[in-house]
Amino acid sequence: MIQDYLILSIILFCLGILGVITRRNVFTVFMSIELMLNAANLAFIAFSRLHESMDGHVLAMMIMAVAAAEAALALAVVILLHKHKGKLDTNVFSLLRG
Amino acid sequence: MFEYALSVMIFLPILAGLALVLFPLRGQVARTVGLIVSIVILFMGIEMFIGFTGTSGMEYVQNTPWIESLGINYALGVDGISLLVLMAAAILYPLVFFVFDTRTKGFYGNLLIAQGAMIGAICATDMVLFYVFWEIMLLPIFFMIGLYGGANRLAATLKITIYTIAGSLLMLAALVYVGVSYHQQFGKWTFDIVQLSALDLGGGYAVLAFIMFMIAFAIKTPLFPFHTWLPDAYTEAPTSATFVLSAIMAKIGVYGIIRFVVPVFEIEFARFAMLLSLAGVVGMIYCGIAAISQKDMKRLMAFSSASHMGIIALGVFCMNVQALTGTLFQIAAHATSTGVLFLFVGLLEQRMKSREIGDLGGIAYRAPIFATFFAIAMLASVGLPGTNGFIGEFLIILGALKFSPFIAVLAGTTLIIGVCYMLWMFQRVFFEKTNEKTAEFQDLTAKEMLSFLPVILLILAMGIFPQAFIKKIEPAASQQVAKLFAMSQAQVADTAVPVSDQNNHKN
Amino acid sequence: MEHTANYIGLIPLLPLVGAVVIGLMHMFTCTGKAFSEKLYGALACVGPVLSFFLALVVFFHLRDLPVDQRHLTHNVFTWFAVGDLKVDMAFLVDPLSGLYLLFVTFIGSLIHIYSIGYMAGDENFGKFFCYLNLFLGSMLILVLGSGPVVMFVGWEGVGLCSYLLISFFATDTENVLAGNKAFIVNRIGDLGFVLGMSVLFWAIGSGGFDYLSLKANTHLLTPGVGIAVCLLLFIGACGKSAQIPLYVWLPDAMAGPTPVSALIHAATMVTAGVYMVARFSFMYAHFTTAGTIVAWVGILTALLSAIYGMFQSDIKKILAYSTVSQLGYMFAGVGVAAYSAGIFHVFTHAFFKALLFLGAGSVIYALHHQQDVWQMGGLKNKMPRTYMTMLIGALALAGFPPFSGFFSKDEILFMALANGHTGIWLIGVLVAAMTAYYTFRLIFLVFHGTPRNQEAYDHAHEAPAVMTVPLIVLAAGAALAGVLNLPALFGGNMVVSTWLEPSLTEHHPHMSHGVEILAMLASVVAVVIGITIAYKKFGQGAEEPEFTGFAKLGYHKFYVDEIYNAVFVQPFKGIGSVISRFLEPNVTDSFVKFATWIYRKAGTSFKALQVGYVRVYALYMVIGLSLMSLFLSQSIN
Repeated sequence: MIQDYLILSIILFCLGILGVITRRNVFTVFMSIELMLNAANLAFIAFSRLHESMDGHVLAMMIMAVAAAEAALALAVVILLHKHKGKLDTNVFSLLRG
Repeated sequence: MFEYALSVMIFLPILAGLALVLFPLRGQVARTVGLIVSIVILFMGIEMFIGFTGTSGMEYVQNTPWIESLGINYALGVDGISLLVLMAAAILYPLVFFVFDTRTKGFYGNLLIAQGAMIGAICATDMVLFYVFWEIMLLPIFFMIGLYGGANRLAATLKITIYTIAGSLLMLAALVYVGVSYHQQFGKWTFDIVQLSALDLGGGYAVLAFIMFMIAFAIKTPLFPFHTWLPDAYTEAPTSATFVLSAIMAKIGVYGIIRFVVPVFEIEFARFAMLLSLAGVVGMIYCGIAAISQKDMKRLMAFSSASHMGIIALGVFCMNVQALTGTLFQIAAHATSTGVLFLFVGLLEQRMKSREIGDLGGIAYRAPIFATFFAIAMLASVGLPGTNGFIGEFLIILGALKFSPFIAVLAGTTLIIGVCYMLWMFQRVFFEKTNEKTAEFQDLTAKEMLSFLPVILLILAMGIFPQAFIKKIEPAASQQVAKLFAMSQAQVADTAVPVSDQNNHKN
Repeated sequence: MEHTANYIGLIPLLPLVGAVVIGLMHMFTCTGKAFSEKLYGALACVGPVLSFFLALVVFFHLRDLPVDQRHLTHNVFTWFAVGDLKVDMAFLVDPLSGLYLLFVTFIGSLIHIYSIGYMAGDENFGKFFCYLNLFLGSMLILVLGSGPVVMFVGWEGVGLCSYLLISFFATDTENVLAGNKAFIVNRIGDLGFVLGMSVLFWAIGSGGFDYLSLKANTHLLTPGVGIAVCLLLFIGACGKSAQIPLYVWLPDAMAGPTPVSALIHAATMVTAGVYMVARFSFMYAHFTTAGTIVAWVGILTALLSAIYGMFQSDIKKILAYSTVSQLGYMFAGVGVAAYSAGIFHVFTHAFFKALLFLGAGSVIYALHHQQDVWQMGGLKNKMPRTYMTMLIGALALAGFPPFSGFFSKDEILFMALANGHTGIWLIGVLVAAMTAYYTFRLIFLVFHGTPRNQEAYDHAHEAPAVMTVPLIVLAAGAALAGVLNLPALFGGNMVVSTWLEPSLTEHHPHMSHGVEILAMLASVVAVVIGITIAYKKFGQGAEEPEFTGFAKLGYHKFYVDEIYNAVFVQPFKGIGSVISRFLEPNVTDSFVKFATWIYRKAGTSFKALQVGYVRVYALYMVIGLSLMSLFLSQSIN
């Protein structure tokens, strides 16, 4: 029972990673990160149910709040980046190249 | 002298130097401040020398806890071993401010900071305190060469900095080892050098720590083959910085060996003495021969200085009172002669806009006073009797003979090699025909002459009346040798160590 | 009269003070308006002359003392004391140093006076007298020093002055090179001296490091150490007194002004080595092996430089080689334990060689710095006083009886024979013949025959009185000094030898007068043969020959200078440039270069990973996290 939830969570997480690594559009990357966060949330809720404890719920709530805050901040950054370069392609932003 | 005299001698220059660096002052004001501070230190130094009683113990002691949990103290003191090194650092400084005035306030500030740090390193009797000052010493040198040096200054700065920092890190590691060992053996923390000398170290780690210490000091001295930073740094540094480096800072390397390595690592020291003394003489010969073929006068002096440092260091490794006293005396003697020679080269460069030996010639006819002063300093540097260079060199060679005749013969060749490069240089710069460039050479001005005269007289006075100096340093030297001898004899009686006979160390 | 000893310190001090005063005066005025030569001359002579009179006072005081108490010491101050080593700046006058003191100050004063004439008009007049005074002071320290270390002070001091005076005309590179050569070769000897002193100190020096204590402790030396000390010290003597293999500097040293050649490179400084061996006679007499080596080196040097002397064309070079040769005799003397004979030869040689050099200087002065004997000739009519005095000097040098050289040289040869060194005696007689030959070759070429350079001859003139008076005084000495040590054979009683006896450790072998007469006859015959050959070849005038075969080798001094240059000097310079051009940048510096290379290499390797794309960094993170999880899961199981 719990395995199904966890497998789903892992699949979601891996999809998120794949998205972060392979996609070049900033928004897609951003959505992939959200996907990973939600995969973690799912796992928390599943474990919470398994252990009959509310701790998992608390953490899930917490993550949602952080994700919201993060979204606000990240979107602001994305807007600034777009203003600067006029593009949303992550390959353009490679100032840290060695 | 009052109780905090040493602290004043350390922090007055450092604070004055920082003030010069931070406050917006004009170069001339900065120079005047520097001059006043250095003259104050000069007089304090002289008074300290006169008041020094010359027993074998520490004088002018000051001891305040600093980091109590680790037993680190702010501990200062002067004894026969540090006395003449301290004098070199305290007395020669006003010359720099008197003679050259083309530099900015930052330069003067750094000079002062360097002086304070050097005096601190010389007087510190706590290893950690010493380490702190030792590191501070490097900073002003970094800025002085890096900001105000010659064309190749960046490479030279990088080289000296990386080299010395590497050495310092090794020293730090070894220092921690020594502290921990003491804690293990005696159950408390201390870095006081007198207490640390009670340590009974042995085994592979002790050898490793000894080697790390030695590398740190060998780099600063510099001992062959760690000398390669020296020609570049000395040549690229502005004259005053070269003066500080050659006349005083290099000596602190040798001093560090005597003060911190020998009392703690007696056995290792005795075991490696032969190898180390070989490094000393090989370096002396190697750098001496290298000096012969130099075309740049300053570079020639740099190699000459490295060559002399080899023989000065040799005196430490011979482990008898004559050689050690010779080294302590030669430290001061060499500071005067080489320091003055570097300043003279600086003057020459200032006037001729060139240091190439090939561009010069016949200066002796244009500038007899300059030539005479230069000649006296040069003769001191080649160890002619009547100048202070002879006493030290003679004592070191004499002591080396007791240690090992082979080393003594090699060390003796300094008599020959020294005159080879010096005379040939003197010939090409001061003798032979005047060319159109040197025909305009201006002899020393009255101000320059008066500022060099005391040092020239000091060179002669130290050569003619050395006993006034030796009697203050000899008790400490013989005590150290006796202690080293007793320790190494007791502990490595069975290994074949070339130490000298008992009857020679009655003290 | 106890206070007489306190004057001793003044004897070297006076010329030194003179040197400082003159030096300062010259230093401050030489680029502007200089002081007059008269003032310099007067100042320069004050020190030496006063020292001479003080030396006389001390000497006569010494003579009045009983024989076994003839030593005066004056301890001025403790120079330095470290552990057992205690060196006093102390002076010792005993018969040996007393005799030396007298003739050094006497000849020194005469040469100062002569120089006033010779150097007249030179723009560095003051500098010259500063150096000359400094030299005299150093020489007196050398002679008076009560122990080897103080002697070494003077030893190096005279070396320095020798360097300064050889390169006196320093605009000429040749002269400076000659000066450098002298200083460096002397320094090689000094290395031996320093090492010898050090060995001696560690062996017996803890009981006091002055001659008297050392003499008392000599018996404690083991033969190995003793011989080592003797030979090391002798290396020092070889350097200073120009013996094989370190003689090469002395002929070149003739680049200096002629009075310098007379004072330093003939009469006083170069005999310091002989003085040192005599000073240490207690050791050389004890370790006869060392003495024999000294004697053989000496006599071979005498032979070699006599060969050179026969073929030279520069008047000063001829005299220089004759000096080397005579020094060889002296070492042969002190080597065969005839110390007083050796010292007596130093004494007579000082007179006649100074005389010959000053005479040569007078000739050179008259011919406007012409030194080639093949450009001279027939000068005896133009310069009668110089000719007569030089003739006396030549007879003394050749060892013709009854001139002084005859007695001193013969004493050495006789003692060699008497002490069983027949080989040394034979070579000595041969060298005597050669000496006579080249000395008279010089006299005949310069003064006899017809002028070879008419123009120079026409301008030649006799030197002024300030130069000829010292010549005459010295000629008197050269002619008569032999009387001082007249052997018993001629009814004398060896005044000098007897006088020196308390200072020296020697014993006089007994040999019949018959042998002595025969030996003497042999050397007189040798001298006559030498002079006759010289007369046959050069007496009537001769032209400069083309040297071939052996003569060519001799003229080029067997190419020893060239060999030294090729074997020592050039390789030394070569090593120097190898070090500074190759070893220094490529080998010893390679540590640092290697360290920086490693860091740089590592940096450029890792640089490739920093692509700058966020997603690639995310990938690294994922890989890292996966590996860590894998590792953790492994370790938990």
